[in-house]
Amino acid sequence: MEKSKGYVIVASNKINFYKYAVNLAESILDYNEDAKITLFCEEWMFEEIHRDLFDNVEWCSNHYRAKLDGMARSPYDLTFYLDADMEVEHEDIATVFDEFNGYDILFTELTDDRDYIYAERDFDTPEGSAKFTLCGGVCLYDMTVPIVREFMDDWWDLTRRQMDHEWWPDGYAESLRSWDQFSLWWLTEKTPKYKDLKLGIFEDDLRWNYYNAFNWAITQPEGEVVVRHYSCGLDKDGHII
Amino acid sequence: MSFRRWMDNAFWEENSDKQKLNCILEMRDDADRETRQVFLLNKLNKDGSDNEMFVEVVETLGEELIERNTEERKVRKENEKAEKKQRDEEHARARKLEELFNYKMEIFETEEIKNSKNRKLKAKIRRAKSKVEVNLWAMKLLESELEVAESGKE
Repeated sequence: MEKSKGYVIVASNKINFYKYAVNLAESILDYNEDAKITLFCEEWMFEEIHRDLFDNVEWCSNHYRAKLDGMARSPYDLTFYLDADMEVEHEDIATVFDEFNGYDILFTELTDDRDYIYAERDFDTPEGSAKFTLCGGVCLYDMTVPIVREFMDDWWDLTRRQMDHEWWPDGYAESLRSWDQFSLWWLTEKTPKYKDLKLGIFEDDLRWNYYNAFNWAITQPEGEVVVRHYSCGLDKDGHII
Repeated sequence: MSFRRWMDNAFWEENSDKQKLNCILEMRDDADRETRQVFLLNKLNKDGSDNEMFVEVVETLGEELIERNTEERKVRKENEKAEKKQRDEEHARARKLEELFNYKMEIFETEEIKNSKNRKLKAKIRRAKSKVEVNLWAMKLLESELEVAESGKE
């Protein structure tokens, strides 16, 4: 049986994320009108006029990192998760599910030459210094692989526990606690269970998560941008009108 | 061990007249303390006599090296300037795009546009490259909504 394919968007905590999520869903449909999209949002945010944009709407909590809960609850076999504050601008969004290249999970990369836009990337560990290398802005994953499903559950669970002060390893800075990159790093680098997880980086990864804060003169993909990430320049707390 | 030497990156202030020389003197004293001093040396002293230090640097490093340093520095500075200009332009372009995105989000919150099912015109707004273009497509969408409303009344 053919694997189901769909996009997951999560809006929690701030109403603007819901508005960005609607725009993102419409932008996916602009280029892929048959796209299946699941929205996870808080119940109070949802407006019925947007129902027809989504194949499926589910409620989530107001947790700041509820995106990980949504990712773990994806109804699709092959899922492309996107942060709500993104916009699609290329038809290749329809072909994202062809990008697996033998991996089970794909991310975009945090690299040294892109360092200039990241808030916190280098950190100390009891074993020496380390860096975050995976960016969770988008994620392509195959939920038919049992270990991927477990990984997504664990990522959400660990992030929730670290943020709720239920878990934190000795020797790590408190400032890292709010980052889901930390739990991602912990699972991929420190957890034996996931050492064989087939985790990869998108080819020409900037196409799939191009931060608008990047300087085009320094940082640009080989191909055209498919997904633009407005993360840095938005007033997420302000009123859009 | 103490030493006193001119660094090999000296360059003319103006390559055309070679009257002023930028150079750095590195020194280490007997107590192993190292210092570096930057000089801008005139060829001539105020009374018109030769500046001995100037002569010393030119003789030590040679005019050819100083000239090559001057040319390389000039090219490097021009490239840096051009690169900075391009970076600044791209930075401004990115800020403008963010502003445009925020503007579109405001437009999409306008009641008639928000409730519209005209996906084609909404896509035109989303792809617009300027506020003027956004406004034009937004007007077009409003007109089309009005037409739909009018035909519904008839």
